[in-house]
Amino acid sequence: MVHALSEIRRVLVPDGILIDLRPLLDRWQVDVVSAREVRKTGRLLDMPPGLEEDAAANQNMLQAEQDGWFKRESEEIFQLSFLWDSASEMEKYFKEEWSEFIGLDDETRQATRSAWALGDADSQVRVKVKMLITRWKKTITSME
Amino acid sequence: MSMQKDPDRKEIKFLNKFIDLDVAGRHVLEIGCGEGRLTWQYARMPGFTTGIDVDSDALRVATIDRPSDLENKVCFCNARSEQLPFKKETFDIAILAWSF
Repeated sequence: MVHALSEIRRVLVPDGILIDLRPLLDRWQVDVVSAREVRKTGRLLDMPPGLEEDAAANQNMLQAEQDGWFKRESEEIFQLSFLWDSASEMEKYFKEEWSEFIGLDDETRQATRSAWALGDADSQVRVKVKMLITRWKKTITSME
Repeated sequence: MSMQKDPDRKEIKFLNKFIDLDVAGRHVLEIGCGEGRLTWQYARMPGFTTGIDVDSDALRVATIDRPSDLENKVCFCNARSEQLPFKKETFDIAILAWSF
């Protein structure tokens, strides 16, 4: 990551801008949603490797700022949605794509399956992912 | 499997809020572009976009899916962010998206 930031800085023009856009683990909310209603079914579990990745990324960006590589200009948190047509599709996706950094406990799994099975015909499963966006400006150090 | 990522297009709304991409001549580097899902949402605005990813299968899909009007505005490169195959001071903007 530090090497990546060094490389990004190298290829940016003076005063170039780096946009860092990434998810942050925060026990993401799971809902079953339809046009008529939203039913909260639980929260996902944050797994240690994912938490460690978040912490490492935060630390690396902080270090880059302290070393005078980049200056943080603005930052915001927002949420974006992932939607699946069924609870089983969500579970399959988790297993294939997210299993290293999030977990689904039995209570949330069962609540989501039940809410989806008993829900309206247009019911979908939604996970709201917490996102961080930061604008960084390349700075020139006195050594350059 | 049917999955929708960001159906409300929040990412592009926040990206536009944080950076003015709609400037002719600007060269954008997107690190971790994958299959180009985010790339297609903004690439008509800046002068030129280069997307890199370590996943060559994803880049193959991105190249196949590239809209015809973006053929001269977007290119892809199989590369790691730790070793960028570009000369210094090539890009005005770098977007590090979902890459940690």
